[in-house]
Amino acid sequence: MESLNQAWYLFQATLSRYQDFQYVFMLIPFVLFFELPLYFINWMSAFRYLIKNAIEAPLTLHYFPRVTCAITCYAEGKAVQSTVISLLEQIYPGHIEIIAMVDGVKKNQATYHALVELAPLVSQYPKRSLVIIPKFQRGGRVSSLNAGLSRAQGEIFLALDGDTSFDNQMIHYAAAHFRNPDMVAVTGPMRVRNARKTIMTRLQNLEYMLTMQVGKLGFAKLGVINNVPGAFGIFRKSFLQQVGGWNTGTAEDLDLTLRIKQYYKRYPHLQIEFEPGAVSHTDVPESLIDFLKQRLRWDGDLWYIYSNKHKYGISASMMGWKNLIFLLWYGILFQIVMPFSIVLYTIYIAVKLPLYAFLLSMTLVYAFYFCLITIQYILYLIFITDRRKEDCNAIFILPIYPIFQFISRVWSALAILNQIINKGHLDSAMAPLWVLQKGKQ
Amino acid sequence: MLIVFSQDQEEIDLSSEYKNLFNISHFSDFSVWEKERIIPSAFIIQGKDKHYISTILGKVRKDSEFFASLCFITDSAFPYDDFMLDGQLPQPTDLREEINQFDNLLKSLKSNETYITHQGRLIKYFWLRPDFVLQPYHDWQHARFYRYPLLEALSLDKSDSFEWLRNLANSKIIDPILLIDRQRECTDCRSSHLSFVDVCPNCLSIDIEMQASLHCFTCGCVDVQEKFLHSGTLICPKCHTQLRHIGSDYDRPIENYRCNSCSQSFVEGEVQVRCAMCEKEMESSELIQNEIRNWRLSDKGRTIAFRGEVFDLSSGFDQLNFISRELFIHDLDWMMVTSRRYPNVNFSLFGIYFANLPELVELFNHARLLQMLESFAQQLRSLLRTPDLSTRTAENMLWLLLPNTDEQGLFGFHKRIEGSMKLLLEQSEHKLDFRFISISSQKLSSKENAELLLARLYGELL
Repeated sequence: MESLNQAWYLFQATLSRYQDFQYVFMLIPFVLFFELPLYFINWMSAFRYLIKNAIEAPLTLHYFPRVTCAITCYAEGKAVQSTVISLLEQIYPGHIEIIAMVDGVKKNQATYHALVELAPLVSQYPKRSLVIIPKFQRGGRVSSLNAGLSRAQGEIFLALDGDTSFDNQMIHYAAAHFRNPDMVAVTGPMRVRNARKTIMTRLQNLEYMLTMQVGKLGFAKLGVINNVPGAFGIFRKSFLQQVGGWNTGTAEDLDLTLRIKQYYKRYPHLQIEFEPGAVSHTDVPESLIDFLKQRLRWDGDLWYIYSNKHKYGISASMMGWKNLIFLLWYGILFQIVMPFSIVLYTIYIAVKLPLYAFLLSMTLVYAFYFCLITIQYILYLIFITDRRKEDCNAIFILPIYPIFQFISRVWSALAILNQIINKGHLDSAMAPLWVLQKGKQ
Repeated sequence: MLIVFSQDQEEIDLSSEYKNLFNISHFSDFSVWEKERIIPSAFIIQGKDKHYISTILGKVRKDSEFFASLCFITDSAFPYDDFMLDGQLPQPTDLREEINQFDNLLKSLKSNETYITHQGRLIKYFWLRPDFVLQPYHDWQHARFYRYPLLEALSLDKSDSFEWLRNLANSKIIDPILLIDRQRECTDCRSSHLSFVDVCPNCLSIDIEMQASLHCFTCGCVDVQEKFLHSGTLICPKCHTQLRHIGSDYDRPIENYRCNSCSQSFVEGEVQVRCAMCEKEMESSELIQNEIRNWRLSDKGRTIAFRGEVFDLSSGFDQLNFISRELFIHDLDWMMVTSRRYPNVNFSLFGIYFANLPELVELFNHARLLQMLESFAQQLRSLLRTPDLSTRTAENMLWLLLPNTDEQGLFGFHKRIEGSMKLLLEQSEHKLDFRFISISSQKLSSKENAELLLARLYGELL
């Protein structure tokens, strides 16, 4: 205790000696307090929803439109079967049409055969059908999704990944929103299916809980949802066709979300909803290397989308003030500017401050984030989770989580740099190069 | 002479072109023709009445003498039925040609008493129509679903077509072309009118139903899906856990059926078969498979047609009292094992091979060759001792197993058999090509078994 006190005094003494450091020290609250209000607003919005939800009596209406689930398959192999089975198992009285697009079927015979094997099982389920579209020419995710869209017969179109499975009430919850004619898209919480595998997956599990489940819920209730993820997006088919389906290029999900948002100024009644009951489960990268590779693509694509594709779309005249402010705040400042400021700030104090002072300030930052995360986690456990017992396991990972967050922020900065310098969006596993090059550069 | 049958006398006459080329006589009824028995070049059936046409046709095919005659119909709208008909009446010149070809084939046919038998009649029918294919006719009212109307007519409805067909195929008179259908038949009455019912494998009750069940992972409860469903969610009736995701919260047991009388759950019902004709019940695995094919005349059938008789050695060697090949091999095996274990036990194996019997038939007539072989068999028989065994692995390959015969004994046997062969050679004007092979037990290798030994020796003979 005494040594800690000593360190604190030394820290204060250092600060008073180097006057300009106090200025630098201000940067910490600047970064932190930009984040805090975001979390605060987010939580307030989430609470508003929870209270509203608790007061309102649940309403079950006879609305069961035909639903099309388009699954983009590539090299999933047998794993694709659990996706299809989880869709067959849906407790939904309407017809569910499952369209599985196997991209590059020559190379992905195993996936194709896994799907063909399911055909006899499908016939055992009433009101379920399976269509397999083998695509001989590999065209990437976008081409698969558009192929599925052109074949879809349902009113509601679900764009799903071959390595994602779903709770059996997913469609029931999601479809109910489309009774509202203004609803154009719905998404739901994504949970990590392989959370117990490695430390990396446990960390991502906690990240998904806090960003996907809490973050998306709050943002959606404010009407400013940032992205309808490609692995789990639910759309009104007629609107999707109106928008023109998916556009070539990477991050086609963010691109589509932004394009929908660009209708907001003209048609302010349009809505994108987040449905906490429509739960999906996905696999996340198990090793650090794979995780970094994934994020290199994701974060790089952000820059590509914001700076190239939607340079002119990001304006109040297109998406309205609310969405513009949110996009500038969350999308640009939080996701693009902050990673750089964190890296620069860290380098700066590492160089300028004596080692102990640097360590101490880093410890403070760590402590701050640890508290922030812990509070969020506890709130999440109390109010939001639908699998409380399972999610309690994440408590052990809390102490490492701020470090994980720091590393992924730093990596995010590198990813954006890579995109700016190397045009990383052309180096994607999502589609062959010749397809990606057709997109807006 | 064309024999024309027509129901109504007012029926439009055949055109004058036919009249110029052929003599024509008209009949309204088959029995009238039967009394006169005018020799026909072809029968022509006029009219549109299906019943009339098939009655006349049936009677023609059952006729003892003219069953194989050409039969045409004039009605182009008649559903062409190629089971017994030769088609529609061709143009006069074509008809002339067809009749000429028919007559030529008839001349080349070896005429003897063979054609009294069913088999002979069939061969004659085939021979006169070189490209004829025996087609099955699908008839749902028939007990076996398929019939061969021609076989029924030619056998005068006396024999079971399928049984006859099997015999014909076994004696290689006809060759199969295409497999048309494969069906299951009642073990008792060979009917194909079967009904399949799935029953409970436990109590054989037919009161079973499909039932979607769930298996809760939390408490292991297995029950009907309805008991889990509560206003759109799945909740385990025992432990009240909410089941959200297949594979992690619950799964579906493989047992999908439930018996209402004994409450057993099972994966798949047992299939019971009931014959609709004889009402006998049986299991599906017991059913007899029947393969429905179409057929044509084989080379052997054609040989019979122009030679008059099938060339079959079997009757020539009948006196030798052959044992079956399997039994022979079994005994040979036993002898080989015994002689290996007890060196004082010895035996010999002797093979006789006739290389050119089919060519000899060309030289001598069949009956004479048969006579020659019979006398040879008689002599051979006198050479054999009571414990000697003989068999035939091919039409022209005889094997003799001589117990208690060592190398010297074998040498003596060889001499004697050559002596008796001399006579046969003289009779055949030295055209007969025969070969001997023999081995005694002392020279056997220890690795061979009977099957291999026979194969090796046969190979040496060729």
